This record gives sequence, structure tokens and C-alpha cells, in this order.
Amino acid sequence: MTEVDITLTVNGATRTGSPEARKTLADFLRDDLGLTGTHLGCEHGVCGACTVIVDGRAVRSCLMLAVQAAGSEVTTIEGLAMKGASEGGTGRRAGGGEMGVLQQAMWDSHSFQCGFCTPGMIMQAVAFLSDHPDADERQIREALSGNICRCTGYQSIIDGVLLAAERGRERAAREQR
Amino acid sequence: MKLPPVGYEAPETVSEAVELLAEHQDEASVLAGGQSLIPLLALRLAHPAVLIDINGVDELSGVSAADGWVAIGAMTREYVAEESGTVASAVPLLAAALPLIGHEAIRSRGTIGGSLAHADPAAELPAVARALDAEFVVRGQSGERVVPAAEWFEGYLTTSRQPDELLTGVRFPAAGPGTGVSFQEVARRHGDFAMVGLATSVTLSGGVISDARLAFAGVSDVPARASGAEELLAGQRPSAELFDEAARRAAAGIDPPADLHGSAEYRKKVAAALVRRGLRAAVGNAQEGQ
Amino acid sequence: MTAIAAERYTGASIKRSEDPRILTGAGRYVDDIKLPGMLHAAFVRSPLAHGRVLSVDVSAARELPGVVAAYTGADLEAMTVPGPDALMALMGWQGPTPQFTLLATDKVRLAGDPVAVVIAESRYLAEDGCELVAVEYDELPPVTNASFALDPGSPPVFANLGDNVAKPHSRSEFGEVPATFAGADRVYDFRIGVHRHQNVPMEGRACIASYDAGSGVMTVHAATQSVHVTKIAVAMRLGMEQDKVRVLAGDIGGSFGLKIGASREELAVAAASRDLGRPVKWVEDRGENLTTSGQAREESFEVRAAVSNDGDLLGLDVKMVIDTGAYPGMGAMVPSIVEAMFPGPYRLAALGFESTAAITNKATYVAYRGPWASETFVRERVLDLIAKDLGLDPLEIRLRNVAPRTDPPAVMVTGRPLAGVTTRESLERIAQLVDFPAFRRRQAEARAAGRYLGIGLATFIEAAPGPREPGGPSGPMGMESMRLRLEEDGIVALFTGQMPHGQSHQTTLAQIAADEFGVPFEQVRVVVGDTSVVPFGLTGGSRSATMTGGVALHGARQLKARVLDFASHLMEASAQDLEITDGQVLVRGDPASAIAVGEVARRAASGQFGAGVDAHLEVEATFDGGEGGWSGGSHCAIVDVDVETGLVTVERYVVAEDCGALINPAVVEGQIRGGVAQGIGAVLLERSAYDEDGNCQSATFMDYLVPTACDVPRIEIEHLETVPLDADVNFRGVGEGGMIVAPPTIVNAIEDALSPFGVRIHEQHLPPARILELIAGQPAIA
Repeated sequence: MTEVDITLTVNGATRTGSPEARKTLADFLRDDLGLTGTHLGCEHGVCGACTVIVDGRAVRSCLMLAVQAAGSEVTTIEGLAMKGASEGGTGRRAGGGEMGVLQQAMWDSHSFQCGFCTPGMIMQAVAFLSDHPDADERQIREALSGNICRCTGYQSIIDGVLLAAERGRERAAREQR
Repeated sequence: MKLPPVGYEAPETVSEAVELLAEHQDEASVLAGGQSLIPLLALRLAHPAVLIDINGVDELSGVSAADGWVAIGAMTREYVAEESGTVASAVPLLAAALPLIGHEAIRSRGTIGGSLAHADPAAELPAVARALDAEFVVRGQSGERVVPAAEWFEGYLTTSRQPDELLTGVRFPAAGPGTGVSFQEVARRHGDFAMVGLATSVTLSGGVISDARLAFAGVSDVPARASGAEELLAGQRPSAELFDEAARRAAAGIDPPADLHGSAEYRKKVAAALVRRGLRAAVGNAQEGQ
Repeated sequence: MTAIAAERYTGASIKRSEDPRILTGAGRYVDDIKLPGMLHAAFVRSPLAHGRVLSVDVSAARELPGVVAAYTGADLEAMTVPGPDALMALMGWQGPTPQFTLLATDKVRLAGDPVAVVIAESRYLAEDGCELVAVEYDELPPVTNASFALDPGSPPVFANLGDNVAKPHSRSEFGEVPATFAGADRVYDFRIGVHRHQNVPMEGRACIASYDAGSGVMTVHAATQSVHVTKIAVAMRLGMEQDKVRVLAGDIGGSFGLKIGASREELAVAAASRDLGRPVKWVEDRGENLTTSGQAREESFEVRAAVSNDGDLLGLDVKMVIDTGAYPGMGAMVPSIVEAMFPGPYRLAALGFESTAAITNKATYVAYRGPWASETFVRERVLDLIAKDLGLDPLEIRLRNVAPRTDPPAVMVTGRPLAGVTTRESLERIAQLVDFPAFRRRQAEARAAGRYLGIGLATFIEAAPGPREPGGPSGPMGMESMRLRLEEDGIVALFTGQMPHGQSHQTTLAQIAADEFGVPFEQVRVVVGDTSVVPFGLTGGSRSATMTGGVALHGARQLKARVLDFASHLMEASAQDLEITDGQVLVRGDPASAIAVGEVARRAASGQFGAGVDAHLEVEATFDGGEGGWSGGSHCAIVDVDVETGLVTVERYVVAEDCGALINPAVVEGQIRGGVAQGIGAVLLERSAYDEDGNCQSATFMDYLVPTACDVPRIEIEHLETVPLDADVNFRGVGEGGMIVAPPTIVNAIEDALSPFGVRIHEQHLPPARILELIAGQPAIA
């Protein structure tokens, strides 16, 4: 077995492990670190359920080996829940953490049903919105077209992202005054 | 769908990588972006003995322009090339194709070199490289050599890279004045592989087509230049009738595969349509630039 | 909106109580569960569609470090009790019963048929072990389509049956069939086919079986639409007492009909767990899900229609053949539902219906969201084809043929009364929402410019739960039960056999109970997913809105009566003078008298009251569907077809729906949109494909294509004023409707777009290449 010692930052904390070289980042996060929020929908890079943020970019964690994340900063869905009110969260407790702006907007918009695509969809949307805070519906749909949802028909998800973007702009405008 | 057991090496320099390739030859797979290789491993369609992970070879990344060429290191991420001002201005055809590659998350990791070394004939970058006669720089035990695109793509997922060679970079000729480009693609869904794709580059000089490049994705086991159409176009004034004839010639010159997504007949029809659309767009693009 | 008991929560888009955990990655799906000592299973699967198994050698797998066990089909036969498929048994199947072993022993019957199972410390190692299992096969000619299957010369897939007939040919007639056809102005003949496609939930099948040798109890963590049905299936196959099996379910990543009972793999894993005395987890990967979990909808129809010159659809004579795949599933039972539903909301006077079900070497036919949906596809397609021939407008021909709403209601020729059906209203509403004349003008202009726009319309009804049947409970699968209890902390707990997997029951049922009982929404807890604790139930058939909404309403009412009865002793007031508002019991008009319901419950539990006072604040309620009712609606789509590439864009999609009273509009709309998306997928993208050797060609998401955010437009939804049939419960099911009626809506629109080319469409799957073939006038390949 080729095991490789790695150290990386996950959701702001230093984590270590000795995964086999063949172990995907997705499996490492889920099994070795117990962060089961990241889901496996296809394991061949098409459905997007495994999306996490690595060094500022949304990536499919099933298409990265854990060893390739050594030295990187990884954010998973569990990491988003840590954002407090000052960063746009609502201060509302949810499963141990607070919800960020996007999560709150998605709750308000009835974005999801079974929830299996949710973490990947949220991570992709968070990454996209942070680079494109003024995106329109067409751009948001394209940005999320690599994340498959089987339950919703997408409209409620898009509405959640649009609402989050609007609230983000309103907050930015308030802070400027 | 778990990856099979595999050895792992992470060289830090090109020399180290080449040494490892010389040692393992066909038993090794080079891991760059992983967006094509890792699914193959997960589906257990490939069982390399060792992965040579070149993500740590920093000297392989970068975009630079010199002497009418734009050199792109093999490990340059697709999103980096997408955001590059040099690529946008000097290799507009590449800039046009990049956003069509999969989805943003794929381009976060996928690399220019990886895609071109993998050589999926339905992918965008091989068609671009073939259209522009890009040059492939490989380093092996016996040193460096440069392979023109026409000789790089040998067959389905097969290039002329020798087992002990590493693709270190690709260089694209900078677009000359009067050049207009277009990348057309018919895919089942946004971000999917093209059923048929077409890279088009047209140069106008004095209102006449001085150079035309058309390279298809998805119609053969390699990216395919529509040379019959290119010959027809050279020296002609653009017109709808000319584009129609070019489309007919291009379609007649291909023998596309049939698969779940489209019959051979379908691909031929679409290829013709893309030639018309590609030429209209590229010529329009060129005319705007003048 | 109909009058409902209380207005506070019911009818409002209350935010989901499921969401805080779903949105923060705190959901708990089967694969998220880790048990001490847990092992992982992977299956060795046949590469052939049809073959004899000559030998299975697992010895090399057993030797691999990290592999704890490997079982062949023969090993598992010795560890389990042979018997019929549990679901078939539960549904009372009387027809041909194929004999087969849990894992393949003598034969493999589809590509992917499980032959052996390897149990190891990790899924990685289990898959490594599978690669070391050596199986020798003797290939047999594959039976890859129904017509070969029904040919007596085809090799029987099941030796004990002797042929490949899953359900023998049968014929029924309703009304005067020969006379109707003899007297009709015109008789049309159509051949219409629906292609194979499938559920594809984002989470596949998954379970952890955990046998505790000390207690002899098997605990199964399942992804299932019914914990009780899974329990029955596991107990039966393992030969265990029912009370020695406990099934738990948490969050489930969708199902759409797939996850009912226990699959052969799940039963094998349970047997392995019992043998090893350790928990064993199996999570199917996407390849397994696409090739072996089950597929649906592969049906062909010969339809003869008796029509008047003015467009009255007088009678239909239908021959249906359904391809049920290899192992028994729901397929053989679908024709009878299709037959019953075939008249739809129309005043069809005569129906002849015959059907056969064929066994083939392909994945089992499983229930997929509206399993009978082909009746709507065929009927709505036929109406458009007839309309075109007669020069009638699609709206016109439907309005002409819709059964009028009368009292007593019109009755379908197959027997069910069309009480409260608002088809006419939904069609008329579509005509208000979509300006058809303006579209026709735009369509003409576009055609002149070489662009092909089309508009399509279709309507449906769904028995959700269906009309009141004399003497029996409404709804598929019978009565609904619920246990309701007022807890000492003031929580009203609802124990239900429903097993939500996206339906938002934990929110909707709480809305109803909160309103009826008188507590804030947050003070109701819906308990699901534990066979030790919840009554029998199943989520499916679009039943829960009526059946479970109804039992929640009546149960909460009964619980409230009991609480007030007890409180009358506590508060020394008559129960009629008491009310519960905002979680407080008080004497009407005397706020100072208020006592929190939790306090009331604590006092009841204190035992301070004697035998004459009923202090047991719990009720077991049942509901038979009340007056029942139909759901339904009309859908309209505008499409843009690129005739050079065959790509279709859905430009606009409009729904006028009637699902009775809405519990939570956002939940209703989400169900409709999700169903419509699957319908769009079926037409434009999704096909479970096999080659002539029976190899599945759609085994990854690169070939089985599901719709993305760029493929599904905004779907406009209007809720119609419904016809209340029941004094209290007028919620009707909405889960399946979108998927039932969207395919004909889209196909009708595409045919309209291509009418300048004279295209007539007799199939449901229209990928780009097929669109170009239709334009070029090429017939479908059988």
C-alpha cells in the first residue's frame, strides 16, 4: 500500500492523515476526517455533489487524490456553517453552526428537497458568487449546470442564489454608507 | 467505483519526472489535472502500476509570449489560461474554446497539457491545436523535441509521446492581423463533450480570405482538419454560397463514428452546419476587427 | 381555496424544518453512518446479459489482506430462505413466478447480475477482492427485446417458466367495443412506443445491515420508501421473526419509486452480516445504479381509435406490450393500472385493452414516478395526431372530449367516477395564460426566418388518492395510520410510517397538526424511520397529501379532544368551554386560566388522577381517504427546435394544476417542477440503452444524461380553485403528476414545431439525431 502522510487545512483547522495514494479527496474528507457533508453522487466527476473549495477554487473532490491536497486550504459545506453574522450569516443556529447568507437565502427560497445534491450545489454557488456577485439568472444557471439535482427542476435553487446575491449587494451598499 | 491500487510518485522537477517515466515506461500514467485520468481509474478501465503526479513541478506552469508564439506550460490550469490576457489577445481561438470545456470546477484542475496529452478527439483543445498547427514540446531521456500538431495526434487517446517522454508545454502561433475566430460546438447539454465541434480561424486580407483553418472535434479518432474546405476558401471573397460549398466539402471529407448520442449521418449534417456557422462567425469577427 | 380547519400554517409556504441540517451538511444519509466494526461489500457482476454460470472461485479474493469474507450465490442460498420476491408477495401477485436464487448460481440474466459478494475492511479493498474472483460462464443468446422474448423460440430466461412471459396475454372490454368501432366515421391505427429510462436518484441504493449475535436482532439502516416493507423483506428472506428485525432510516437522497422493499444485494448484505456478526455496509455506485438497480417505461402500444368526423373520441382499442426486464419487479402489474386509467378525464364510451408482459435480459422494471404514465402519453399523443388529421386545434379537441362535470359525476368506462375533476377549467386556464393566437403569429414569422417554434398541450388526471370507492378505503395500499402523542415537554409528536425522501413531510404534516391541535409549528415533531416506533406505511403513489395529511388532521383533532377531556378535570371546566391556542389550554375568553400543554401532559403523567380519568394523552388514528379525489392539470410548452442540429430548447412551460387544497405551496411547486424536469429529461436526454448483446450502454453519467439547470426553464404554475369533496381533507397528491404529463406536453410541442416538415411522432425519446431523422422522414427503428 502506498500511503502518504499529508497535512492540510480543512475549514480553518490543520488536519493530518496518511491516506493511500489512490484515495480520493472526497473519501478522505468523508471517511478519515468524518466530514460527511460532502456527498458522492457519481464518483466520475459529472454530478458535482462532491464539490468543495480548494485554494479558493471550486473543485470536484472525487477527481482529486487526497495526497494532491497536501498543503492546501480546503473548505467543505461544514466550513460554511461557521460563518457568523459579521460575515453575512444570520446568527441563527443550525446543526451546531450558523448559516451563511447563501444558506439562509436557500432556506427562505425552499431551494431543496432530498438534500443530496445540496452541499455540492452550495459550494459551487458560493465560489461562483464570490467571483461574480452581480451575476444574472442565465450566468447562474450556466455556473450551476455542472451540479445535478434530480428533485427540484432547479428553479428554487436559482431563486435562492439570486436572493443571496441581492442580499449581498444590499449589505455591501449598507456597509458603504 | 474506487480506484485500484497504484504506486505514487511526486517529482518536483522535469528531470525527475522524465527519470521516473524512463523507469516505468508504459506502466506509468502521468497525473496532471486528473479530470480525465481519475475517472478512468475510478471506472477501473486503467490499471497503471504507478502514477507520476506532476502537480508539484512548478516549472511546468505559465503563459508567455515571444517571437510570434505563445508558450503555455503543460501544467497551466485551464482556468488560468482562460483568465490570461495574453491568451485572449494573441490566441483568440484558444480563448474561445476554453469556456466550453466542461464546467468551471473541471477547469479549476484540468490543464492545457493534460487535455492535449489525453487527446480525446471529442475535446476542444485538440481541435484548437490542430487548427492552429500548434507545436508540442516533449522532453525524454534523449532530450527535447518539438512535434507539430499534425504528427501529435495518432489515434484514439493516442499521441506520439513516447513512454519515457513528458509533454512539458505547447506553443500556439500568435494570431496575425485580420484574423477572426470561432469555436462552434453541438453538445447534448451545456458543458458536455461535443458531438461535433469545430475550431475555425480565418484571416482576411483586402477583403479576401488569405488563410482558413477548420479543425473538427468528434468526427474521427483524432481532431480532423477539413483541408478540402480550407483549399476552397483560400483566396476567395466570403459569401454565403462559398460557406455552403465549404460545408459540403468538409462534410464529404469526414467519416464520423456512430454512438449512443448520434449516428454517422447526423454528425455529417451537423458538421456541415457548423462549418456554415463557424465561417460566418469567424469572418464576421475578422471584419469587425478591421 | 377550500375551507380548512385553521388557517395559520396550512396553505402557507412555511420554511422547512428539514433545511437547517440539509443546508449545513448535517444530513445523515446511509453512507454517512459509521458503526463499530463495520465492513464494506462489493459485488462481482456478470459481464454477460445471459449465460450459464459454470464455476465461481472466490479463493483468491479471500486471500487478499483486508478481505474478511467472500460469498458465492451458492453460499448465500445456504444462508437464506428461498421464496418469492417480498414486494410481489405483498402486492398479492398471482401470475407466473420465476424461480431464482438471491445471487446468481446457475444462470446470469442481465449484464451486471450479481454473482458473488466480497466483504472487506473498506470499499476499496472489497472492489480489489472482486477483481480476484474468477467466474466461468457459458454464454447464451441474449433476449434483448420484447418481441424476441414473446417468440416461443427465444431461450427461456427462467427455466421454471419455460418461456419469457411475465404476465400472460389478457384482454378486457369496457363498453360496446365492436359496435363503437363499427359505427365510427373514422378508425385510426397508431403504433406508439415509450423508451426505457429510469429513476436516477442522486443517492443510489444503500444499506447497512448490522446483526447482533447476542440479541439475535438484525438492525438495518436503509434508504427506503418504507421501513416496514424493508423489514418484512429482510425478515422473510433471512427466515427471521419480524420482531427480530428493526429497520431505521434517516435522510434519503431521493428515490422516485426505486427504493422499495429490499433488493437482492441488500438481502445478501444482511445475510453476510448475520454470518459475520458485524455490520456490513453496501452503497451502490453510479454504475451499479444505472445498470442494475432497475429501469422503467419500456412499453409499446398498438392503438386503434374510433373517431367521429367532428373529433369525438368514441372508443380506443389498445394492445400493450411491456418489457419487464429480467428479475420480477413492478412491470407485470403496470398494465392493469394503465388499463384502468386509459380513458383519462374524457368521455370515452368504449375501451378494449389487452396486454402482455415480457421477460428480457435487461434490468428489472421498477416503479418510476407515475408507473402508469404511458397511458397519458399515448392518449395525449393520439389526440394530437387525430386533431392534426381532422384540422382541429389541440385545445379544441380536448375541450370537445372532456367529460362534463356533473352530479353525480361522470364515470370512466373502466369504472371510476370522475368526481371533482377540473380538466376543463385547467385547459381554459392555460388558454388564458398562454396567448395561443399571438404565438401562432410569432410562429409564422419565425418560420419565415427559418426558425421552428412549436406549442404543445397535454392534460392528465391522477388517482391521488382517487375517488371514494364504495365500501373501501381510497388510495393505493389502503388505510393510513398515525400515532399522535402529547409529550411532557409540550411537543405534539406524530409517528408516521411515511418515509420522506424529499417530500418535506416533517414540515407539511406539522403544519396540519399545529393548526388542528393549536400549538406553534415548532412544537410539532414528525417522527419517521424506525420500525420499532412508527406504524406501517409507505411513501409512494402520491398518497401522503391526502392519506397522511388526513390522518394528521383527524388524529390531531382526536388528540385535542382527549387532551381537553383530561384538562377539563384539571381545570374544573367543561371540555366544551376549553380551547387550545398557541400551545396553551384555556377557558375560552379567560386568558388568565391558560396552562401550557406541556404542563397538562406532565400532570397527566403524574398519576395523580384515578381510574375514572383518562390521562393517556395518545391516540392511534386511521384514515381511509375521506371522499378522496383526483389530482390533475394541464401543461403547455413552447419549444424552439434547431433543425440543423436537432437541439430543442424549452422556451416556456406553463402549468395549470389542481391538487386540491395546498398544504404548503412551495412544496407543491417543487414537486411539480421536479417532475416536469424528469419529463423534459425523458424526451430530450434520458435513455437506458442496450446494444444487441444486452450490454448496457448508458452506464455512466456521460451517457445517461439527466437535465441540468440549463435544460429546465422557469416553470410557471397556477393553482386552480379546487372542488372540495370532503368536509375536512381536500389535500390531494401531487408527487407524480409533473412526470406523467410533461413528456406528452413536450412531444406535442416538438411535433407542432416540425409540422412544416409533415412530421408525425410516435415515440417519446427525441434526442438531436432523432429530430433530424424525423425531418428527413425516416421511420423509427423497432
